[in-house]
Amino acid sequence: MLAARASSRTIQRVARNFATVVESSGVKVAAVDSNQATSSVTFLIKAGSRFEPKAGVAHGLKNFAFKSTAKRTALGTVRESEIYGGVLSASLSREHLALTAEFLRGDEQYFIDVLSSFVTTGRFTRHEFNEYVVPVVEAEIEAANFNPGLRAVEAAHAMAFHNGLGSSLLAVPHSSITHEDIKNFAQSAFTRENIAVLGTGIDQATLSSLVEKSLSKISTSSQLASSPSSYYGGETRLQAHGGPQTIFVGFGATGVPTSELAALAAYLSPTPSIKWSQGTSPISTAIPEGTSVEVVYLPYTDASLFGFLVQGSNGSAIKEASKAAIQALKSASSGLKGDDLKKAVAKAKFAAASAVDSREGLVSMLGSKVLAGQGSSLDSTLSSLDNVSATAFSKATSQLIKAKPVFVAVGDVATLPYVDELGL
Amino acid sequence: MSLGPSLASKVLASKTLSSWIVPVAQWYANVSGYRKYGLRYDDLIMEENEDVQRAIKRLTPREQYDRAYRFKRASHASVLHAPLDKSQWTTPEQDVRYLSPHIVEVEKEEKERVMWDTALISRRK
Repeated sequence: MLAARASSRTIQRVARNFATVVESSGVKVAAVDSNQATSSVTFLIKAGSRFEPKAGVAHGLKNFAFKSTAKRTALGTVRESEIYGGVLSASLSREHLALTAEFLRGDEQYFIDVLSSFVTTGRFTRHEFNEYVVPVVEAEIEAANFNPGLRAVEAAHAMAFHNGLGSSLLAVPHSSITHEDIKNFAQSAFTRENIAVLGTGIDQATLSSLVEKSLSKISTSSQLASSPSSYYGGETRLQAHGGPQTIFVGFGATGVPTSELAALAAYLSPTPSIKWSQGTSPISTAIPEGTSVEVVYLPYTDASLFGFLVQGSNGSAIKEASKAAIQALKSASSGLKGDDLKKAVAKAKFAAASAVDSREGLVSMLGSKVLAGQGSSLDSTLSSLDNVSATAFSKATSQLIKAKPVFVAVGDVATLPYVDELGL
Repeated sequence: MSLGPSLASKVLASKTLSSWIVPVAQWYANVSGYRKYGLRYDDLIMEENEDVQRAIKRLTPREQYDRAYRFKRASHASVLHAPLDKSQWTTPEQDVRYLSPHIVEVEKEEKERVMWDTALISRRK
């Protein structure tokens, strides 16, 4: 069937750039306009947790977003944005801090001013830190404590990469960070070459002229540095109660993420393409009822983490499910049969292409490319997936599992399996 | 308004006026006696007020501790019906307005909140 379908794919696909990237006053600006009713502007800043000089500073900075600036107070920002009917949000990943404003078409002047005045003239006052930032930081830490999946992935990063990428997205409870730490971090992060501006539903020329005006005075020298990632691996067990029993077992790889791993993730992922069906992944048929296996593939600029997040109600079921997942990974390393590779590549391509349809997906997909100055087209991603060969796939997979595994158990650690029981 | 009207900034801006009034003000502050009990002028601001309570929370932990200490020392001296030893009197240099900037800030925020609560919005033409 796949062979029959493949012929229809040969229709010439028009190479399409999602956005044109221009440099306006040194800041990279990319805009996509597909005539939607709302616009959004994201300031993507290289200020993720891997760059933080002190644990938790990036988390604090994320929650400091849209507080008082030289131009308006925190209250003024909120009330005025409400009058315009816009939504302001900040999100943090290990590499980037994204400050986003979503608004109706035509209000771009105000919202770009809100974003850029925080970036250029944020005041970072002590009382706002104590009154607004600390309570939210602590609430987020508390909420994360009850999310075993998140805890497992956080611990896995710490095991896998130690510093840099290993540093947690969340501050530690009762941390000693101050508003001064956050202010210094912001000053070194909010510089010209660290910022990319991504707009959706907005005209490229409008966006770049507004950005040019508002970011003209931003400083140019960046003092942020993160040492290149290296992979370590290891095992840790965290006691938790309340949530499902969780283990994360995986491997890391350094270097630029390869398409082979994306294809591997698509091949193993037990999420079915059709709702309520079992799917054709080798894992989905082998795991016991009531347990779930999620393939976690997290590519970063200079490393990637690949693994399984296995959740269930008891330790023995989890052991069985994770053994099945490891078995599937091992058999994938000795090559795929028949059309499996084509299927996996098609699935990975669809995942990559459909991610760009949503605003968040677009930002995470194009953002790092735009920041690195690599243009903004999806074609390179898709064509590199097309070029995945069976030998390269099995080589990349066997290379991956040769490394020391990362193993995290969260829950009732007495019943959860140990890493040597999983048949690695 | 917990601080009340003040012409201090206008007086300090003018050289002639301040050369006349500042010595009188210093004399008045000394005569009013709070310095003999180791207090500062801002310790006398009535604190049973939401704005002032918020301003007090914005002091650094050190400032909050020192403020509580001055109150304890002064009330003890008051129980004894005697001012403190002269070495413990507040000097004019120590008598800084440590709280009023915070009160001004809080009141400004409150005023802005009222402004937004009652703002009239007209549609852009």
